[in-house]
Amino acid sequence: MGIKKVGAKPQTLVEKIFFLDFIKGLKTTIKHLWKKVITVDFPYEVVTPPPRFRGVHGLRTVDGTENPEFDSWVKRLKIKPPEPGETRCIACKFCQAACPVPELFDIQSEKLDVPEGHPHYGLKVMTVFNMDLSKCTFCGLCTQACPTDCIIMTDIYDLSSYTRRSWVLDKDMLTQIANDFVARRGKEKFDEKSQWREDQKLWPEYDRTREKLWDFNMPKLGLNYHDQTA
Amino acid sequence: MSWISVEKAKKLEERFGYPKVSQDKSGVVSVEVPKDKFIEFLKFLKEDKEYDFRMFLDLTIIDHGEKEDPRFQGVVILFSPTYQHRIIVKTWALDETLPTLTNLWKGAKWAEREAWDMFGIKFEGHENLVRMLLWETYPYHPLRKDFPLEGIKDTYLPSLNETLRGDSLEGLFNYDRMHTAIPTMEDLEITQKKRMPVKTSQIVLNWGPLHPGTHGTIWFLFDLDGEYVKQCDIIIGQLHRGVEKLGENVNWQQFIPYTDRMDYIAAINENHAYVLAAEKLLGIEIPEKAKWIRTMMAELSRINSHLLWLGTYALDLGALTMFLYTFREREKIMDIIEGISGARFTINYFRIGGVFADLPYGALDAIEHLIKDLPERINDYETLLTRNRIWLSRNKDVCIITEEDVYEYGLTGAVARGSGVPYDVRKIDKYDAYGEVEFDIPVGETGDSYDRYLVRMEEMRQSIRIIEQCVAKLRRMSKNDPYFFQTPDEKKLKVTIDGRGMKLPAGEVYASSDNPRGELGFYIYNKKDGLKAHRMRIRSGAFYNLQVFTKAIIGRPIADAITLLSTIDPVVGETDR
Ligand code: SF4
Ligand code: SF4
Repeated sequence: MGIKKVGAKPQTLVEKIFFLDFIKGLKTTIKHLWKKVITVDFPYEVVTPPPRFRGVHGLRTVDGTENPEFDSWVKRLKIKPPEPGETRCIACKFCQAACPVPELFDIQSEKLDVPEGHPHYGLKVMTVFNMDLSKCTFCGLCTQACPTDCIIMTDIYDLSSYTRRSWVLDKDMLTQIANDFVARRGKEKFDEKSQWREDQKLWPEYDRTREKLWDFNMPKLGLNYHDQTA
Repeated sequence: MSWISVEKAKKLEERFGYPKVSQDKSGVVSVEVPKDKFIEFLKFLKEDKEYDFRMFLDLTIIDHGEKEDPRFQGVVILFSPTYQHRIIVKTWALDETLPTLTNLWKGAKWAEREAWDMFGIKFEGHENLVRMLLWETYPYHPLRKDFPLEGIKDTYLPSLNETLRGDSLEGLFNYDRMHTAIPTMEDLEITQKKRMPVKTSQIVLNWGPLHPGTHGTIWFLFDLDGEYVKQCDIIIGQLHRGVEKLGENVNWQQFIPYTDRMDYIAAINENHAYVLAAEKLLGIEIPEKAKWIRTMMAELSRINSHLLWLGTYALDLGALTMFLYTFREREKIMDIIEGISGARFTINYFRIGGVFADLPYGALDAIEHLIKDLPERINDYETLLTRNRIWLSRNKDVCIITEEDVYEYGLTGAVARGSGVPYDVRKIDKYDAYGEVEFDIPVGETGDSYDRYLVRMEEMRQSIRIIEQCVAKLRRMSKNDPYFFQTPDEKKLKVTIDGRGMKLPAGEVYASSDNPRGELGFYIYNKKDGLKAHRMRIRSGAFYNLQVFTKAIIGRPIADAITLLSTIDPVVGETDR
């Protein structure tokens, strides 16, 4: 078992008399004096969050990139098969079950009011989906529980508002957030089956602001494992 | 194995007759003794050379439920520095009392107060059995099973609703106007008086609870004679959120985000300790890749935490520049962690069974890049501080913590190592990949603040060493290697990333990890297979380390309080839980 002793050495006389400790310290300070500023001038400059960033939630809509089990889930829960552009949510409440703060969700579904014989007779749609983000821990467990990859987390982090009420997002708001996000950055995060891409980047390389906080000396991103291909 | 062998424990049975030895599947060895023999037995364990359980780790209570008789059980966890293993000693708290352990280990003082506070168990012979986390006039004991999770709502507190809309809010936002009690000024005054019943000198100085120099919301009481401290007590609990109670009321994976919020500076390490305990209870072995990723992330987090410690420590002692330098490096680590896990602070990356996602493209490169620079930076910090005469005179021989204190108070982490005790759970338990990486344990000589400083500086270098080895190992792995436990038979054992429907078996387990702030241990007791824990005890390293503050500061000038607090480096989220 490796044990390494650390201990104090007393200051030598030379060090004491010639103030070597101070001079050495000053040298370090002066060395840093000429470096460029590394702070980001928020809000005029912003760093783009990485693809995996866990920000405000969104509800994805049907756009042809659903996972292979999507249809069977819709059937199993007796949900009206959604048209393109309609929400993917099947009101299964798995997200709520996985959440550490389940009371922040309010999810409801209703039977469609159609006469017998109509193809949608007896089927349901999700009608209410409220999330109170003031209670959310942004842990991401809900997104991992969702069987249809409906609930996702986006890169939005500025949640400040004047009233607590505005932290409750309803289904329209959530859908809009997701649509925006998928259009903006969906390619970075999801593959064509809505799963996380295998080659998700640690952070977006097009973002030049990040360079600042890395002292203008950014690492070059590359492959992790020997058998990976770009 | 870090537990006493059953054979050796059985010898105790032969010798005394009354102890009952049992071993759980998770490896934990516990001994049950009758209450009237409790102290005698512990004294033997502590003093006998063959057993030598000198070090106190934890004391807690299990509430078996209102219907059970006897209902409360005391649990003591001890460690033997000579043989490098632990033991659990249990006894039934008949009539809701237990004899005090404070005559054997001074460190039991706070633990017993906490047990009184949370369970209402009286410790006979305790010098001042007041509450630990709650205020003195609070009438309930919240960790009892009959206390509801949301508390007893007996106080009118309308302020959560928006006043403009009054009661007209509906749905998620119409908060109940009755809430659990909060302390009033009188309550706090009573609490303060009870904590320090006898004043020895003229002035009692209050420091905190909101002093920017403290590490969060801690409230110090210093009984001062001139500049020198004669007596000291600490009132904590301002950040108490009942994490243990929450742990008994949420599912297994769902508890991880709550552990994030304990020691928020090193959230990864908190997650780590918890998932280790849960995995041991489940009896699963996680995939190799997950082990190495977790080890690497835990060490990154340690550097992150130590950088924050160094910055604020130097800031507290008046060296402002340091703070800016360390935060620059810290930012890069946060950036990497954010890229890997999706969050900077409340990370929630580890899961029971591995990690929730593989490393993203470029993660290893960024980490390599970081650790290439880091040693040079640490040298920079050292040139600024280590030989500086002001730094030396503020730290050298200040507030010495002896080896004896380490065992008495159950000190762990850099505080123990600064006092020359090479106690490191990473070496004892060899959890995850720590058995396979090479690193040294830095230890100090005198146990003064300066030694604790040097130990942490060296720990950062050792962490870099570990990360280097992890990166090299991960590079050789395949992208197809699993990063999460694969269930062989879903019907028998269900381990899911999101935790829905995951059950952990009956049994008990104590597992810990070596956090930047000391040993964080989770003691989980599970009556039957369950979605939730029956008892979730969190042994907080920061809590026990902070306790020694009240001793080490005695006789020192008040200015040393800042140095001592900084070198103990508690985080209130963890001390209060
Ligand atoms: S991020 Fe976590 S806390 Fe927030 S809604 Fe999802 S599961 Fe719940
Ligand atoms: S888990 Fe997904 S599909 Fe199910 S209710 Fe939640 S968001 Fe809708």
